[in-house]
Amino acid sequence: MKTLLKPADISMNADCLCPIEPGELAPLPPPYEDFNESIPTPLKPEKIKNIEASLDDTVAIGIPKPASREEEEALVRQFLSGLKKLFEKENNWTFLQPLTLSMEHCARCQTCSDACPAYEMSGRQEIYRPIFRSEVLRRIYKKYLRAGGKITARLTGDIDLNWTTIARLAELSYRCTLCRRCATVCPIGVDNGLITHEIRKLFSQEMGIAPKEIHDRGTLQHLKVGSTTGMTPAAAKDCAEFIQEEMEEITGYKVDIPWDVEGADILLLHNAGEMLAWPENVGAFAIIFQAAGLSWTMSSEAAGYDAVNYGLWYDDVQFARVAVKHADIARRLKVEKIVIGECGHAHKALTVIADRLLTGDLNVPRESALVTLESIVRSGRLKFDPRKNDFPVTLHDPCNVVRAMGIVEPQRRILRKIAPRFREMTPHGVENYCCGGGSGFAIMSGYNFTDWRNLVSSRKKFMQILNAFENERQDTPKYVCAPCSNCKGTIRDLIHYYDAEERSRLYYGGLVELMVNALDGMKKSMIRFGEKPSWE
Amino acid sequence: MPQIELAGKTYEVDEDGFLQELDKWNEEFAEAYAHVEDIEGKLTEEHWMVINYLRNYFQQFGIAPMIRKICKDLKIDMKKLYELFPTGPAKGACKLAGLSKPTGCV
Repeated sequence: MKTLLKPADISMNADCLCPIEPGELAPLPPPYEDFNESIPTPLKPEKIKNIEASLDDTVAIGIPKPASREEEEALVRQFLSGLKKLFEKENNWTFLQPLTLSMEHCARCQTCSDACPAYEMSGRQEIYRPIFRSEVLRRIYKKYLRAGGKITARLTGDIDLNWTTIARLAELSYRCTLCRRCATVCPIGVDNGLITHEIRKLFSQEMGIAPKEIHDRGTLQHLKVGSTTGMTPAAAKDCAEFIQEEMEEITGYKVDIPWDVEGADILLLHNAGEMLAWPENVGAFAIIFQAAGLSWTMSSEAAGYDAVNYGLWYDDVQFARVAVKHADIARRLKVEKIVIGECGHAHKALTVIADRLLTGDLNVPRESALVTLESIVRSGRLKFDPRKNDFPVTLHDPCNVVRAMGIVEPQRRILRKIAPRFREMTPHGVENYCCGGGSGFAIMSGYNFTDWRNLVSSRKKFMQILNAFENERQDTPKYVCAPCSNCKGTIRDLIHYYDAEERSRLYYGGLVELMVNALDGMKKSMIRFGEKPSWE
Repeated sequence: MPQIELAGKTYEVDEDGFLQELDKWNEEFAEAYAHVEDIEGKLTEEHWMVINYLRNYFQQFGIAPMIRKICKDLKIDMKKLYELFPTGPAKGACKLAGLSKPTGCV
């Protein structure tokens, strides 16, 4: 058995602090036992010789090693200066209070550990314990930023602040999906998810260290081109045109996606990834909004057709830039409200977190599409025939929409009307488990990180899904309804990785697709199981 | 930055094998890269139809088109697309066509 690592071991001189050994991960039920010995694909030595890879045989960021002693010392100084800023009102007014409370008050009761799917599924590897990384930060903070800290550090387990410690901490901040299930069970309200977020922020804002998928190709591309997908306004319109044609085939009538309509009631913000990877989601929204007679529009202005705000996960400055852009577009279009499509982190970003940034007429009302959709269903303006959805359905609760915002029932009230074979996962609602792709993990695919996600952070969700359908026949097609782009991408990858379309006939999609599938008067059905690989 | 050597020339690629310097693309690159993406023998007219379509779309819009759009515009089905590019349209076909890797929540 492994010796139990302590937070002070983070600075230990070792090629790999905590490797995952075959057979350590929580066992999967049949017919997936053949994955029980799997571990993330080992990285080739030449691929990782110049980057930090000594945490757990997995690499998310790929931080270059410092070239000289001077460079290393400069990086340590930068880290300490950034750490100091996290605890200053003028530099971190948005998160200072919850951060300070979380730093000061952990009782180390470990209630959070049992709540964490990554920790549990990893076979309880110490480094993934929610308080492990928090405790590392806490001790560095107390040692270096508190008077007399260096003396008390000797008593609590000293952490040597060298490059290895810092780089491992950066990688470790990307082994938590920020699902904040731990925060909801903590008896005294400590938020280890927030601490992880603050660590990521320190690295991005002060040291320029962040995964390229969420920073360079994410936020920066979003601000420069207009979308994290690289879509220009012209590309977005071209996609929408194609979607309209596809939807016409389903409905048998012309479907319109309105652009830049000044004075419309609703500005609908979609995650632009939907347009490329799940065009039927964007199309289904258009069908429903049109059929319900809503006054709505999309924006073709750069950033206005991409609801994402990756800054939420790692960088307040980038976050604010994108949030203000979204709000400003809505303000100039003079809409009554912004409705956010099936994208979880965009929900939390624009409705909750941005609320403290948006003042005056920038504070345009924001609403979750789940709420809008429910009011459409309740209005009785649309006719549904639930018999069309005669297949088993379960619902995934995106953490940002459900746990973070408390939107639990609207989507369920819809499902009860349109999906007769709907059943819950256990647990669900605000106690749900993350899909494993939260906080950017769904799109981080460098090195062997996708393996880690499929094997560790998504493992609990995979088991929950299998569990929800355990009484169904193997050959019955089953639908996992996941009203969030990131969750969908993650579940798609899970199905592919575990060969679950073949073995369990698992399919996935959003909520609006199910709604349109049950809509009366459609020429063709929207959900067609197995006509194409569902991961495409 | 990883490199790949094809038909006597060296190209910079990302860790998944997508060409980094898009202006360096040429037909020999695609031809020599084909076997890496599990394509047997020389590229056929059908392969080139897909590759040229992808390149045209990319030049116009800066992204790869939706897979369903490829099928519709070229009048081929998904199965055919996978037969042509066994590693998939998003990976194999885009790599050969010298498009950059898809980004964002896709």
